[in-house]
Amino acid sequence: MAARAWNMPLKFHWMLPKAGEVTLDGRQTPRDAARYRIDSMQSTSPAVRPDMLGWTHFARHAEEAGIDSVLISFSRYEPDPFLVACALGQAVCKLKFIIAYRSGLMQPTTFVQQMNTVSALLHGRVSFNIVAGSSSEEQRGYGDYLSHDERYARAEEFLAVCNAFWRADGDVNFEGKYYRVEQAKLATPFVAPDRTAPEIYVSGHSEQSERLVSSQGSCWLRVAEPPEKLQPIVARTRDRGLGVCLRCCLLCRPTREEALKVAESLLPKDTRESTTTLKDDSQMYREGNELKNDYHWPRPWLWTGLVPHYGPVWTTLIGTPQDLAAAFLEYERIGVTEFILSGWPEVETVDLFGREILPLINRV
Amino acid sequence: MNLRFHWMLPKGGEVGMKTAQETSRVATTKARSPAALHDMEGWVRFARCAEEAGIESVLLSFSRYEPDTIFIACAVGQATTKLKFIVAYRMGLMQPATFVQQINTLSGLIGGRVSLNIVAGSSALEQRGYGDFLDHDERYARAEEFLSVCHSFWANKGEVSFSGKYCRVDKGKIFTPFQAPDRTEPEIYVSGHSEQAKHLALAQGSCYLRLIDTPEKLRPTVKRFCDNGVEVCLRLCVICRPSMEEALAAARALLPPEEIEKQERKILSSSDSQTLKEALAAADDVGWMNRNLWAGLVPFYGSSAITLIGTPARLAQAFMAYKKIGVTQFIIAGWPKLDEMMIFGREVLPLVREAERVSPAKAQR
Repeated sequence: MAARAWNMPLKFHWMLPKAGEVTLDGRQTPRDAARYRIDSMQSTSPAVRPDMLGWTHFARHAEEAGIDSVLISFSRYEPDPFLVACALGQAVCKLKFIIAYRSGLMQPTTFVQQMNTVSALLHGRVSFNIVAGSSSEEQRGYGDYLSHDERYARAEEFLAVCNAFWRADGDVNFEGKYYRVEQAKLATPFVAPDRTAPEIYVSGHSEQSERLVSSQGSCWLRVAEPPEKLQPIVARTRDRGLGVCLRCCLLCRPTREEALKVAESLLPKDTRESTTTLKDDSQMYREGNELKNDYHWPRPWLWTGLVPHYGPVWTTLIGTPQDLAAAFLEYERIGVTEFILSGWPEVETVDLFGREILPLINRV
Repeated sequence: MNLRFHWMLPKGGEVGMKTAQETSRVATTKARSPAALHDMEGWVRFARCAEEAGIESVLLSFSRYEPDTIFIACAVGQATTKLKFIVAYRMGLMQPATFVQQINTLSGLIGGRVSLNIVAGSSALEQRGYGDFLDHDERYARAEEFLSVCHSFWANKGEVSFSGKYCRVDKGKIFTPFQAPDRTEPEIYVSGHSEQAKHLALAQGSCYLRLIDTPEKLRPTVKRFCDNGVEVCLRLCVICRPSMEEALAAARALLPPEEIEKQERKILSSSDSQTLKEALAAADDVGWMNRNLWAGLVPFYGSSAITLIGTPARLAQAFMAYKKIGVTQFIIAGWPKLDEMMIFGREVLPLVREAERVSPAKAQR
């Protein structure tokens, strides 16, 4: 078993809500919130336009709740996460930002220049989540025609160039299959109180993503699964000196019965509402699809009932504050180091997490 | 239409510097130059002064020696309400769809106060550090394809498909729109003196940006652009003082020590930019291009240092002479960076506006 990380408290991050998702008057049922997120992939959704008011409102609640960072997702359906981090980082002073970015969108030198610039503007409160690309169709719209496996090979080169800049030991030269730079210099350094390079979260469930995190990353980002299944995966990742971060949703109520009732309300009334087919060549999504006919309660507090409809990141930890605190501690015992959470609605759930669940975890 | 005046955003640390010598490019490219770091305090102060001085936009220059322009515009844009940002960006650094997504997001965050200055790339050496190995002419061919894809996204007529020599996209969609009170896409300034640059400006730009020259020399070029519905913007420096003698003394005081001159020459001669070659030739041959326009600083501060020198009245007159031949915009810099802009706003701009009121004469083309 991996070393227990008692010296390092668990870190909790949150998904930044979609633009327009946060209602300032707080009146939104869990179902409304879920619905908003599902519909955000339509061009008519307000989610396509930046929403500083809603985001700032959420960010302040997240800071108050003890959340470390927000993950800002990347897709063609929403504003650029780099710029959102830059703008929102000016409005709050403690919260950090994990920027999701795909490889194949820009030259690594440019990426590093942008990342370093944002680090300086936000006093280092920035890290990134590299996604090799989850849909071939979407990637082609960005001018990227590589296959799943090649995208990982390219991401490996991309991060190798980035890391060479961050080592800051002279001009960067690189000659690979996908990238070539010659005598590259960038004057603007990565600026942070305690680091000279950002943390790099690599997400994905495939072998390629494991190789990528081992060679170039600092933390493997995966969807929550039963601890017994994750235990060997987490152990070998921790042995390599890397962190493991789990992505899941949170549904917490004073009693389990109440929580289950809310869960029920989130199920689609019409099963054709499924959005999972949009990410055709993601290993994670393929695994999610295989769950279709399975039993959806691997543990009493772990529910995958929404996964066949909306994708693996809708895997949900469910129960009372006590149940959920116990679940987080069980993950901590197998070596998990961080979580990225979300809920319905986001503001109420992050408030509840900070008030009811986090104190139970910190008390241990 | 009134002339539009923009100003160069000073590099990191420059707002507080008092002498031109401190802000020479040689200093900028030195390791540990403050130009590598952001200077929010200085920039926000400068931006607010620019708004007060009647300046419409600031141009943010792009190079490997400075922070990324898109994010500086985002951060300074949060702290201002009126000033616009002309973001310089090079080609070959990212996919056009990604560029559009970033620019559109920026427009939504700062109320549409963003335009673009497209630079095909000024130094082959620097471009190779960004992973770009094309030569001068090919860089322009790529820029043409790049902007063509960007325009298709901004036209917002469904999915974008494009198959060119340098750019290819298949059913591209970017849902975040360009948001501005009065536009659905940014103004695009294309800079450069080569024939390719002019062609690019005519084909894909809204404004051709070039160095200032005498009105006589510029007249045919300006006419060509005006006739094709593309504006012309001139890049220059100004030195304005109450008397011509004081202005000349201020100009002479800007000449740097000999050692800086040698180093700057080295930087300049490594560039493959047509703009630079022409500007250097002007400096070497004549120095004074007419009674107000001096190229004497170019060997020390780069091609953009051609300077309009004079009293407020003479400068206002000079700007009106450019207006007469059809020039509509200017991007200016001066030394010290902040003080010269305040002098311009206080002394020169009111005279220009007055002259425009008195003789709203249509531009003679």
